[in-house]
Amino acid sequence: MSAVLSIRDLAVRFSTPDGVVPAVNEFSLELAPGECVGIVGESGAGKSQSFLAVMGLLAGNASVSGSARLGETELLGNDREALNAVRGSKLAMIFQDPMTSLTPHLRVVDQIGESLVRHRGLSKAQARQRALELLRLVQVTDAERRLDQYPHELSGGMRQRVMIAIALACDPTVLIADEPTTALDVTIQAQILALLAQLKRERGMSMVLVTHDLGVVAGIADRVVVMYGGRIVEHGAVKDILLAPQHPYTRALLASMPRIDEVGNAPLQAIGGQPPNPRRLPNGCAFHPRCALAADRCANERPALNVAAGRAVACHFPIRVDAHD
Amino acid sequence: MLRYALRRIFGVIPTLFIIIALSFFVIRLAPGGPFDEDQTLPPEVKANLEAAYGLDKPLPEQFVRYLGGLAQGDFGPSYKFKDFTVTELIAQGLPVSLMLGLSAVLLALLVGIPLGTLAALRQNSPTDYGIMAVAVLGIALPSFVTGPLFALIFGLHLRWFPVAGWEAGEYRYLVLPVITLSLPVIAYIARLTRGSLLEVLRTNFVRTARAKGLPERQVILRHALRPALLPVVSYLGPATAFVITGSLVVETVFGLPGSGRYLVQGAINRDYTLVMGMIVVYGGLTLTLNLLADLLYGWLDPRVRYD
Repeated sequence: MSAVLSIRDLAVRFSTPDGVVPAVNEFSLELAPGECVGIVGESGAGKSQSFLAVMGLLAGNASVSGSARLGETELLGNDREALNAVRGSKLAMIFQDPMTSLTPHLRVVDQIGESLVRHRGLSKAQARQRALELLRLVQVTDAERRLDQYPHELSGGMRQRVMIAIALACDPTVLIADEPTTALDVTIQAQILALLAQLKRERGMSMVLVTHDLGVVAGIADRVVVMYGGRIVEHGAVKDILLAPQHPYTRALLASMPRIDEVGNAPLQAIGGQPPNPRRLPNGCAFHPRCALAADRCANERPALNVAAGRAVACHFPIRVDAHD
Repeated sequence: MLRYALRRIFGVIPTLFIIIALSFFVIRLAPGGPFDEDQTLPPEVKANLEAAYGLDKPLPEQFVRYLGGLAQGDFGPSYKFKDFTVTELIAQGLPVSLMLGLSAVLLALLVGIPLGTLAALRQNSPTDYGIMAVAVLGIALPSFVTGPLFALIFGLHLRWFPVAGWEAGEYRYLVLPVITLSLPVIAYIARLTRGSLLEVLRTNFVRTARAKGLPERQVILRHALRPALLPVVSYLGPATAFVITGSLVVETVFGLPGSGRYLVQGAINRDYTLVMGMIVVYGGLTLTLNLLADLLYGWLDPRVRYD
């Protein structure tokens, strides 16, 4: 099956007063139709920057190289017209912070409607009708009244639903969800995730879910990409990665998840040390200073991403487990 | 929005009252009176004059009488321009001053906002630096320097506009004064717009608008510019005050028969009613423009309407 979104060798750099800071390196990913890929990693691992680059939404001081194709359209070229023709229609994104991601002075109906007017050529009345359907689709209560409200009149969960409605307005083939639940409280998080999973299933949409929460990934993703220090360190089917992680970082990440079945006050497992500063990435494997299995080689030679048996890992000493059930 | 507007409008009345009361008593603190100047009048004549104008009454009583007149739209007689009432004097000068001031504010908005927007969109380019350099000059140069300079260049040398003077209905006499008066305001508004637009362009909601694939023009005009104009609108109040005081200078430089001179002459002559009349009119004007700014603010940002 051909990929709907195909990213090759994406690199993102920021020029700052202190020099050039690499944020993402050699990032490649193929997204199949109807598939959901989870992108996990700590803050600063380059998860969000990779996909903001794909959307052409990076800050002005960023430079991007590589290729990202949505169908026939190259997104990383400098053709703003071509990019604007697919953003908001075939390729949509929802963001981390629903409280600040909606324009404060525009009514909900206008914010949902404008991409319909832009990409589908709907009239204002048609766009209003469609906006109402979309609000109902994302399970906003009292949808009719919400249409004419301003963002500040809505709760955080409600605003994220409106963001999802905006993203879904033109039936995108690919939806990028950048930490869509991080800013919401736990019960709302579960509702939004269930909604996203349901929408993805019903519409056969491909989805990229950027998160630092492996639990979220386990719930809806088909594949997982684990990032560290701006690079992919492990990549594979959800079951393989969660049950038999090969990269020590993935394993440490999994071990640091609190478990509901562990009774008592077992201390939370944490990964020692700090996430690396992208300005001063360690030589060799970026994870080696925090890795329990690190050897001399890890400090000198950066491991390549080795692809084998449907999964990939970038480690000199991957953890091998024969059977995982 | 209507309730917000009404609340704002009723808020103006007590403010205006405080302005009137304060200035009424403060003027009287200044030494001397309207009939102390020039030739010394015989005490009996002066007493007669003061009695005729009610100046012999206790101050609180004078104040109440003044307010009573004001409520009926009567600003009282001028003590110095003896054949005129204050209303007549203001009616002579105010239209010219109003036209000058309002045109200057309008021009400042029409030029300042697009300039600031252009500078922000071309941040750190020669266009940006050029606009900002001119803006700094515009703020730094006082109008008693730029005014004569413009009169010299565009009036004397190029002969595009009259150097000075006024004829009713001849708007070309207003061109140079309006430009002179609005230049610092243009500069300030351009700087305000640039700074706040740059900030708004970095917000998450502008990112959302871009993610919708909207053309950049629509992102700016529909999503970014309205919140970016909030500081400009807040500045409208102070801008009005600036234009009012600035018009005193500009009217003098260009020989315009505005009302600004009455404020100065009235204050020097202790022409209490004339000064009070000017204060009431200019105070009311400033409050009205501030009110307008408040209402605009409520329109620009729906969150302001609910407090």
